[in-house]
Amino acid sequence: MAEMQNENPTILNAADLPTRLRPTATPKGEYAGIFTSVPLPADFLESAPTSDSEDDNLLEEPIDEQEIYDLISSISDPEHPISLGELAVVSLPDISIKPTLPDVPGSPLQTVTVLITPTITHCSLATVIGLGVRVRLEQSLPSRFRMNVRIKEGTHSTGDEVNKQLADKERVAAALENGALMGVIAKMMETCH
Amino acid sequence: MAQINHLSDLTPQSLERTWLTAPHPTLPIVATCSSDKTVRVYSLTNFTLLSTITGGHKRSVRTAAWKPHTTGESVLATGSFDATVGIWRRWDSYGREDGSGLKAADTGNSDGEKSDENDEEDEEEWRFAVLLDGHDSEVKSVSWSPSGMLLATCSRDKSIWIWEDLDDGDNNFETVAVMQEHGGDVKCVAWHPVEECLASGSYDDTIRLWREDLDDWGQVACIKGHSGTVWFLDWEGSENVPSSSSVSSSGDVASQWRSQTALSGPRLLSCSDDRSVRVWHRQPKESLMASQSSSAATGIPSIIRPTGTDETWEEDAVLPHAHELAVYAVAWSKRSGLVASTGADGRIALYEERFVTSENKDPDVMDTGSGDGLLKTEWVLIAIHDGAHGIYEINHCAWAKRADRGSESGEELLITTADDGSVKVWTVQR
Repeated sequence: MAEMQNENPTILNAADLPTRLRPTATPKGEYAGIFTSVPLPADFLESAPTSDSEDDNLLEEPIDEQEIYDLISSISDPEHPISLGELAVVSLPDISIKPTLPDVPGSPLQTVTVLITPTITHCSLATVIGLGVRVRLEQSLPSRFRMNVRIKEGTHSTGDEVNKQLADKERVAAALENGALMGVIAKMMETCH
Repeated sequence: MAQINHLSDLTPQSLERTWLTAPHPTLPIVATCSSDKTVRVYSLTNFTLLSTITGGHKRSVRTAAWKPHTTGESVLATGSFDATVGIWRRWDSYGREDGSGLKAADTGNSDGEKSDENDEEDEEEWRFAVLLDGHDSEVKSVSWSPSGMLLATCSRDKSIWIWEDLDDGDNNFETVAVMQEHGGDVKCVAWHPVEECLASGSYDDTIRLWREDLDDWGQVACIKGHSGTVWFLDWEGSENVPSSSSVSSSGDVASQWRSQTALSGPRLLSCSDDRSVRVWHRQPKESLMASQSSSAATGIPSIIRPTGTDETWEEDAVLPHAHELAVYAVAWSKRSGLVASTGADGRIALYEERFVTSENKDPDVMDTGSGDGLLKTEWVLIAIHDGAHGIYEINHCAWAKRADRGSESGEELLITTADDGSVKVWTVQR
């Protein structure tokens, strides 16, 4: 890359980032956190009386804000080998999940809103970062989710323009067919699990 | 109220996103554009795949339109994200013969090894005629003029091109005009049903109208009414009259409506990212016609555009709110006058325009125009179908004539096209 737009960004300590994968309460080692999510046999015994129909409803695990955060915080900044989480470009309080059609009872559609805070107000890479976040979510989440990826208000000089591009389905679809752009995005996602 | 009933899917479907389905103007076939770079042609008599047009485009096929008034041959224009427009031709023998099992074509075919030959012909049934090259980026929409002489195309490069089909047997097209007034992607183009007047909708939130004046194509109106990208446009049928079932003396209402709207002509329907669906009409101006004839008489040189060509377009109606996300498509039925809309919320909405009589008017509403004796209408939301394609966004809707076995003449279908590649066919029950 010719010239960096932000050569010295503020970086958060990875240990301070919100996570469920490595809870601070279990200092047993790096992998301990993974096993905490595995239910114990006792859990099955206790929940045995629950009906089968309830299990059917739970075929798809509910997705919460932390899970969205885990999906996108590990994306790398296109300029730095640092994650969007560490750069505080994405943060847990700026992620929300709401029913898309609140007036339609039982509608499975949900809207994921992610507000992005660019590291500097004139960063021309904001669109690429936003696109990366949107693509990551589209590829990872079930189709019943509608993505609403926006620049956080007041954090970017051309936020409205970027937002309009990111919300334009046709432009995003065309970008996905653009080899050069997808190369950049694929590189950003190399650090995703 | 009305009901939207699922009749059939078009199968087999594309496994990738489908963008648009174009019904043929006369034959019971449709063309569906897909992200898998192909166009699938389906029969409306049995809802199955007739052929797949492949190999022409290097990226998603976004749009397609059938040329009107062709005889013995079908001509399809396709627009792609690869920035090109393809023209395809096929002799009209199918759609009827492959259709509903009525093998009418058998009698005319005396070949012994018919099936083998048909297999070979199938390989080449769609003849790639010509690639129209000119746009700098993704082509979003294509539209044939009512005569079929002109083809309009538009793109993310903010331009609209008008091509003339020279119909010289050599597939030559000539660039007639390039219009670059839009400030953003031009999302759609749609020709007026009878006049050579083009409407366009854009990422710049405007709708613009274009006409030819003394050999020059130019903008005659710019409508700033939507607060988001204008995704799609459709025109009112030239013979359309609102529903008069609620009006007691329906006899002369239709003729009164025709004379009342004769000067403004067919209205324009639009939908937008701002979630609204709107109707626009041209301000009827008797003085406009007078000034045009006077300018012709005085012989003003062609460089000076006579001000008489400018048109004023006004908002006719905002349709009842029915969508919670971007509205990607609207379709104004030329048969029933019903309007359908679809969008990112996966919903189909149906609206009907009705005459309003003075008795059933809301007494609280100030009736400012009661003295002029003009007919008034209101738009009523008559049906909503949620989750029409399950969880998927619906990119397009179109009306077509029903042609399957057991259907009555005059019945119509609504065809919707979605992100999962599915294309669904619906009937409307009143």
